[in-house]
Amino acid sequence: MNILSTAGSLEATKAVEPIVAWRTWALSGHRDGSNLLLRPVAGRSRPWRPMQVTEAGCKHTRLHASPSVDCTCGLHGTHGLDLLRRTRCPAVLGRVALWGRVIEHDLGYRAQFAYPQLITLICQFCFWQWGTHGATPDVVGWFPRDELVPLCWAHLEQAQRYGMEPRRLLPAGEIDLRVRETYAVDPLVRW
Amino acid sequence: MDIGRPQRIIEIEPVSLPVPAPDLPEPMTDPIVEPMPETSPEPAPAEPVDP
Repeated sequence: MNILSTAGSLEATKAVEPIVAWRTWALSGHRDGSNLLLRPVAGRSRPWRPMQVTEAGCKHTRLHASPSVDCTCGLHGTHGLDLLRRTRCPAVLGRVALWGRVIEHDLGYRAQFAYPQLITLICQFCFWQWGTHGATPDVVGWFPRDELVPLCWAHLEQAQRYGMEPRRLLPAGEIDLRVRETYAVDPLVRW
Repeated sequence: MDIGRPQRIIEIEPVSLPVPAPDLPEPMTDPIVEPMPETSPEPAPAEPVDP
């Protein structure tokens, strides 16, 4: 059904099925692998709480509801994977359900509400270099501020050579399982 | 991340939310039956005593 958009000349439609898009997250957690939380890759924004709907916010929230057509706010998702290879420090790749007010762009979406559907840990360096091929990590490095970085053996060695020394190493398979259990979602197996 | 220009607005009201429901306690398979209080037999009426 087409209705007149309040945001200028943009077409507005209504739907009942959430949109499913691609997305990456950063990952945080304690040194023992507990308290795992998905976070936006940009900055130290609020984490996505397990079993709770994530709602978009904006620093200009007094001026407009999020997402706004005239802003960049909202919970982002993309049509394809390649665009995500440019994201900063991705630790988790997945499919995300988006709903509420959703603004569709040329290459993705900005949404009011979201929740992950399928996720997997990725080695960010493999993902940057080769995209979807073989980004499976072997370990997860724990860094100060509870930052967790999944890495393959080769990139762990390379990172250590350049002074990126994790304070502790955790088994990637176990952390992957724990994140999925925390959010009660299935693994992303084919991508 | 640049996702290009906005194309359209979609208002999505899902029939069911794509969020897992929190675990609820397992329903009891056997209904809890309150034990019935033991009924004591009615006391037999006292036999009338002949004066």
